[in-house]
Amino acid sequence: MAAKREQKRGAVQHRVGLGDRVRSWSRNHYRVSNQALARLLVTPLASLMTLAVLAIALALPAFIFSALKNLDQLTAGLETDPHISLYLEVGVAPERLDQLSRTLLLRDDLRSVELISPEKGLEDFRAYTRFDDLLEFFDENPLPAVIILMPSTREPDQLEAIQQEMAALPEVEEARLDMEWVRRLAAFMALAERGAWVLGGLLSLTVLLVVGNTVRMTIESRRDEILVSKLVGATDAWVRRPFLYSGLWYGLFGAVLAWLLAQLALALISEPVQALAALYLNGFVVHGLELSESSLLLAVGLLLGLGGAWLAVGRHLRDIEPG
Amino acid sequence: MTAIRFSNVGKRYPNGHDALKGLNFDLDSGELAFLTGHSGAGKSTLLKLIMLMERPSRGEVWVGEQDLARLPRKQIPYHRRHIGVVFQNHQLLFDRSVFDNVALPLQISGYDPVDAARRVRAALDKVGLLSREKLNPVTLSSGEQQRVGIARAIVHKPKLLLADEPTGNLDPALSEDIMHLFEQFNRIGTTVLIASHDLSLINRLHHRVLVLKDGRLVSDGG
Repeated sequence: MAAKREQKRGAVQHRVGLGDRVRSWSRNHYRVSNQALARLLVTPLASLMTLAVLAIALALPAFIFSALKNLDQLTAGLETDPHISLYLEVGVAPERLDQLSRTLLLRDDLRSVELISPEKGLEDFRAYTRFDDLLEFFDENPLPAVIILMPSTREPDQLEAIQQEMAALPEVEEARLDMEWVRRLAAFMALAERGAWVLGGLLSLTVLLVVGNTVRMTIESRRDEILVSKLVGATDAWVRRPFLYSGLWYGLFGAVLAWLLAQLALALISEPVQALAALYLNGFVVHGLELSESSLLLAVGLLLGLGGAWLAVGRHLRDIEPG
Repeated sequence: MTAIRFSNVGKRYPNGHDALKGLNFDLDSGELAFLTGHSGAGKSTLLKLIMLMERPSRGEVWVGEQDLARLPRKQIPYHRRHIGVVFQNHQLLFDRSVFDNVALPLQISGYDPVDAARRVRAALDKVGLLSREKLNPVTLSSGEQQRVGIARAIVHKPKLLLADEPTGNLDPALSEDIMHLFEQFNRIGTTVLIASHDLSLINRLHHRVLVLKDGRLVSDGG
């Protein structure tokens, strides 16, 4: 009797061998993911509402990040030529001016040096403004000579170093670095980017909680099934699986909808932004989400969905024990 | 060989109630025994200890060669796969067909679907419900529902079959049918332990009877 029983047990274990286990495992994954999808479709309206919340939560950071990316392109276009204007002391001899500008021309950190003599300045003033009558009041040319420098660097710190060096020259009365607005823009961009990360973090948390709560309700509604499954020998992983797939589908579909929303929003603002940009510089094009960014959005949505489900499952499945 | 061994088992619930006290008995492989006693005597607790739905406060419970105290939580599902259980309220799932209810343990254990379908039909045939496989169990009578529950308990050919008041809601004729079904499984080698308070039925069947009273075993015999 004992021998027969042992033999029987051995046969049972043999029947569910490794190959069979792998096959049954992948079969179970396939079946469970399909069922989770089907459950989503059974209550289309409720699922759609949840998905809409997820989509908005994911689309907002996606939209903001791509808007910032486009702004970056804008500042890259504008930042091309920071320059330093050297206003020289009145009364410096013209030969000395020539000599100074030639010396500056030899420096590696300056791309170009342009000397504007007081006479040339006066000519330009006459040509470009309507205030030439004003000059009648002066006995002699009141304009100083100006040297306009184009540094080869665009780094604010280095620009400032050059500016200070120039200001120290005896012939220079004032060296003005025309970059205040570049700094402001850079500061604004840094702030906006930090804000986008904070918002992105908060909205990711929203996705996590929304999926977690939805999955928690699914768990509650399938309490009996969980109990019976555990009684007939379901492992924790087996019980968990359908809910993790639910979360995964929510995350994935939420991200797909978010992608559509973000692309739509970018397309909607593209035309007016381009019209506006054309007034200032050429060649500005609003870029939508690229392939890598789209994949990132999908991956983030998927992981957040899975994570939210994992939180709910970890929190609630242990509570449902037969007994 | 021993199928179940209780050695000085006590179970005290957190509220201080002693459900079982100093319980000793062996159930041999291939045996059929009834477990009886007034309600609250500890019958369900005893079955729960075998299923590891509860852990004893004292003593040892062995199932086959396994000391259940040494079984880690992760192994509990595999332990349960060796046992078939029939419940009083049959615990059927009404969101799926009779067939799918019976197939659940096989899906969980990872049987090949073709093999599983064959076994499900064999189990349904044994309880006389083969023609009902596509129905939702909610449309069946309570006697039929109970037999679906039995089919689910035996579909994976467990060595040990437990039943908690399997005839609780059934009329005497149906109850006797159900008990005869258990006797059939016992005849092909399954160890069977049935908790029931239907004394007149138990006495007619002439099997070993364990009587619990206030958590103690007060009688053990035929």
